[in-house]
Amino acid sequence: MLRRVKKDEKMIQTVRVKNIKRKGDIEVAKVYRLEGISEGDARRLAEKVFCESLIQTYTLNEPILNVHLRGEGNAATKLHLGGVIEIAYKPGVMNPEVASIMKASEDLGIKLVAADSSHEYGFLKPLSKDVLRDLFNPMVEYIVTEEPKTLLIKGTPGKTKIIRFRRMSDSELLELSKDKLFLNLEEMKVIQNYFQKIKRDPTDLELETLAQTWSEHCAHKTFKAKLVVDGKVKEPLFTRIKKEALKYNKNIVSAFVDNAGAMDFYDGWAINGKAETHNAPSAIEPYGGTMTGSGGGFRDVVATGQGAKVLMSADIFCLAPPDLPIDKLPTGTLPPDYILKRVVAAIRDYDNRVGIPTNNGSFHFHEDFRAKPIVLIGAYGMLPKAKAKKGEPEIGDIGVVIGGRTGRDGIHGATFSSGEMSERTMEVNATAVQIGNAIEEKRVFDAILKARDQDLIRAVQDLGAGGFSSAIGEMGVKLGVTIHLEKAPVKYQGLAPWEIFLSESQERMLIILHPKNLKRFYQICKKYNVEATEIARFDGSKRLQVFYGKEKVGGLEMKFLYGGLPQRVMKAIHPRGVHSATSGVTEGLPRGEPKKENEWIELLEKTLSSGDVNSKEPILRQYDHTVQGTNALSPFAGVGMDGPNDAAVIRPLPDKPYGMVVSHGLNPKLTSADPYWGTIWSGAEAISNYVAVGGDYKNASLINNYIWPFPDEEWLGRLDAAVDGVVDFMKALKIPVISGKDSLSATYRGSDGTVIYSPPTVCISIFGKIPDVKKTVSSDFKKVGSTIFLVGRNIHLRGEGKVATKLHLEGVPRVDLKLLPKVLDVMHKAIVSGKVLSCHDVSEGGLITSVFEMCVGGNVGAKIFTSEVKEMLQKNHTSEVYDFLFAETAGCFIVEVENETVAKRLFAGVPFKILGKTTEEEKLSVDGLFSIDVALLQKAWSKPMKEIFS
Amino acid sequence: MRQVRVCILQSDGTNCDNELFYAFKKAGGIPQFVHVNELRDKSKSLKDFDILALPGGFSYGDDVTSGKIWAIELISFLRKEIEDFRKKEGLIIGICNGFQVLVRTGLLPFGELGVMDTTLAPNDSGHFECRWIKLKLEKSKCVFLQESGPVGYFSVNHGEGKFFANNETIKTMEQSGLVVFRYVDANGNPTQKYPDNPNGSLNAIAGVSDPTGRILGLMPHPEKFVDTTQYPNWRRESIDKPHGLFIFEDMVNYVKEEKV
Repeated sequence: MLRRVKKDEKMIQTVRVKNIKRKGDIEVAKVYRLEGISEGDARRLAEKVFCESLIQTYTLNEPILNVHLRGEGNAATKLHLGGVIEIAYKPGVMNPEVASIMKASEDLGIKLVAADSSHEYGFLKPLSKDVLRDLFNPMVEYIVTEEPKTLLIKGTPGKTKIIRFRRMSDSELLELSKDKLFLNLEEMKVIQNYFQKIKRDPTDLELETLAQTWSEHCAHKTFKAKLVVDGKVKEPLFTRIKKEALKYNKNIVSAFVDNAGAMDFYDGWAINGKAETHNAPSAIEPYGGTMTGSGGGFRDVVATGQGAKVLMSADIFCLAPPDLPIDKLPTGTLPPDYILKRVVAAIRDYDNRVGIPTNNGSFHFHEDFRAKPIVLIGAYGMLPKAKAKKGEPEIGDIGVVIGGRTGRDGIHGATFSSGEMSERTMEVNATAVQIGNAIEEKRVFDAILKARDQDLIRAVQDLGAGGFSSAIGEMGVKLGVTIHLEKAPVKYQGLAPWEIFLSESQERMLIILHPKNLKRFYQICKKYNVEATEIARFDGSKRLQVFYGKEKVGGLEMKFLYGGLPQRVMKAIHPRGVHSATSGVTEGLPRGEPKKENEWIELLEKTLSSGDVNSKEPILRQYDHTVQGTNALSPFAGVGMDGPNDAAVIRPLPDKPYGMVVSHGLNPKLTSADPYWGTIWSGAEAISNYVAVGGDYKNASLINNYIWPFPDEEWLGRLDAAVDGVVDFMKALKIPVISGKDSLSATYRGSDGTVIYSPPTVCISIFGKIPDVKKTVSSDFKKVGSTIFLVGRNIHLRGEGKVATKLHLEGVPRVDLKLLPKVLDVMHKAIVSGKVLSCHDVSEGGLITSVFEMCVGGNVGAKIFTSEVKEMLQKNHTSEVYDFLFAETAGCFIVEVENETVAKRLFAGVPFKILGKTTEEEKLSVDGLFSIDVALLQKAWSKPMKEIFS
Repeated sequence: MRQVRVCILQSDGTNCDNELFYAFKKAGGIPQFVHVNELRDKSKSLKDFDILALPGGFSYGDDVTSGKIWAIELISFLRKEIEDFRKKEGLIIGICNGFQVLVRTGLLPFGELGVMDTTLAPNDSGHFECRWIKLKLEKSKCVFLQESGPVGYFSVNHGEGKFFANNETIKTMEQSGLVVFRYVDANGNPTQKYPDNPNGSLNAIAGVSDPTGRILGLMPHPEKFVDTTQYPNWRRESIDKPHGLFIFEDMVNYVKEEKV
């Protein structure tokens, strides 16, 4: 029963809380709005819940910030003159805190009707506009100008509409598709024909369902298309990857069929992995976009087979340089430093809360990511091998939705992320963005694992892109399924059936189970405070039948929905020569080869401080990488715990020595320059990271992700070359790709004709198993006086990396695929033998950067004195020295070993050479070139991210 | 010998429960996961346990303030259960979020349910900190941790860990031996310097006990260093014994000896 509110009493009580001590020029207050309770109860809540009297004060229905200018003027004036601004989530955007406020209130015996929380900011002195930008994202938040009268969102359920579709002209079909369905004319016509054939017009739900199921995001039309490359027919990209992969199946448990790929582990366990981008939402709301990216990645891992536990995540970001001048930003895009800070905050606030260690990741900067950045979430988990495959639903099986409620958020996410981005994107697709609720996700996972261990689950499916439509539809392809949308718990009234069906509200999952297990399953959900509702039944009708109450709002044959999409035939032109990507990243580096000592040092410092190379420790220190207690190799180690490592090593079973190793590699600049060799480089970088820590490449699996501009003939040609690269990489190493994803919409089109292609990028992620985590190494130098070796062949050909400004592109380093497996094998055996003291792979920033990072971890110096450099110097070939030290080669390693005798035994059969020795004096020196304090270099290396994140 | 039963209490958002379970198991205890709802619906009871352990995590998302919502739940529904558990002299440990909960219930540092005299405020750095710091064990009231001295490295993982109270309270705590752990610098001296003191805690206080010495709470995570390989520098330092293990061993052994 609701409490009756007296006439003179406020509907909403407002509690404002602020810290007694203030920091800086902005005063912050937290605002709690409480609907349907008395002033007395509001005061009780303020004192018991909201305000900690030791450090905070509160007011009830009174202002708390003592700043003049209240209520008058707009945000900019207030900023300028000093004033108070309240920023709240827009009505309908889920505020994760509300559920906790309601719970605490209920636990105290106070019945609340509704609640909300927000922040007030008081500006004590004139501040620049940027301040507002950092506090406020208009995508999901608004500036509260008047007190809300109610916090409840009311509405009557929307009606299902019949679309007069059969008689539409081509131009009408295209108009309908634009900004909404994102299908091409041919596809629209196939749908039109279908409805003409069955002699009725479709409902809005049916059209939306088809558009989602046939979207690039869900159907991967390009990867499944028949290709005609330079006039020659080639097998679809996906077929080529799959065919090659399945040749190397000794460890495969499940590949290409489930939400994540799974491989064999030990003692009856499998490990699984998935990497997925969340670029489109992150471009317009990086915080929510990245959170929901993480959430989706984790759910993909959990929704493998009958349920997996998430063990770790790896987060990869490709952004524009944070210092990019604002006038270079196209209309409708966000400043890169803002994006950088917000994506990091998202990982911190989401992954830490769900309790997933983030112990692998990387950042890549390129101006052309200014419109569409890459947010790539890798997630890894484990599950019993016997439950690693989804069970086939049987007639009578039930589909239960658990977790978050369904709202308007995320509608059109699947179709939206398949489209190109334009400045209208921010306006039209605002609903595609939402904020994640980490704790909802966590309890859903807890419940699923419990139910799995009690053998209650037939299959787990994620409710991600496409929502119910996608998840239930896919599970019902063979049998057919009946869905009752009126049963779906909703966040608020007023949703039309098609919105419920397509909604991509986060933290929901679908559990398929036999009816006899339903009661026990509900009990488990109750224990974990997880809402669970039966919504679908698999019925043998071979149709997707959707009801809202008694009204039938959709009925499609599965055969048409999942089999009616025509295979595309796509033409492609192979790239000729190398394609030079423009990059402003390297501007400001010294011109001409360095000659004098100070020029070499300046070059090194610039390299070390550049975006891709500089220390990301300030970021990693905000990510929880020790939660779960499984970490056996930290992202940073060494005397000061500041030396970066190449990959993650996880010990998932606490009383067993087994390890899971995870790494990745990508280089947008190189894949831009040459899609084939750039892809090989990315793979070589990934596997080198993997092996550098002690990973056994023969027991590893690959995940491939393609982030590509919208595929016209030329871009498709480059994509084709990249896929060839992945296939050849598998062939060389004899290990399979078992999962992956493509995102082919990295193009921005402005109304002024501006077109920005994000650099085409292939990310290879690797995960695999080792029998003993003790047989791994870190990158920090361990001793003084030990010998430093280069193992493998570094390629004296510089890529378009950190140092190539003045020289035009000479091409991408071509990794020798014949040599690579030999080097990897020798390295792995050397590490397992225990004779390798430390190891670091060579990549961005070249060999000298790797040696420097090893010095940082070991608190020692290094003296480089190779005969090779000596010779080059004698011949006055400075440019060769330069290449030797800085070339961004992949597939080789800097290794610390006791002495040469040991090295000869370890590295017999592959190229290796002495580089120098570690020294007690903490200087990095190259004979005949320069000598400098490691501490000075470290300062330059640490500074950029420290400035942004401290 | 008698079994030492450990209740690993869970709520929505608890996420350091598995490693805590393992730590107690390794220390010779018999841990069992118990969801707070199982105590609320009485399907499980603290009566059956010797040790109550509140793990780290983000109970209820750390909404409003860290540990607050869970603390309210415990005070509202499990007051009697907790009071009975204390009467029969059970031991309680709260780590990180568990410590935040114990402080917000008032159990720490003065053992008064519902009365909060201290708090764990947001870190001075303004954000979550994940790093390894050095701790020193003080001579204190804590009945099961008796040896003092430097004890080594621990992982901290929190955004709200600054131990804070008014001067008088701090003085009382110091005088009554309620401070159990302090953050120390490389030389082993208590420090206010970041990042050795990762959050700006007053008097470098990292862990505290109640006056009976049977309740311990600390921000750092001993359960994340009970195996050698959990520590980032196990490859370069020789580790005789993982630094966090002794806490769990001492708790388990204390119960064993006391109950003989």
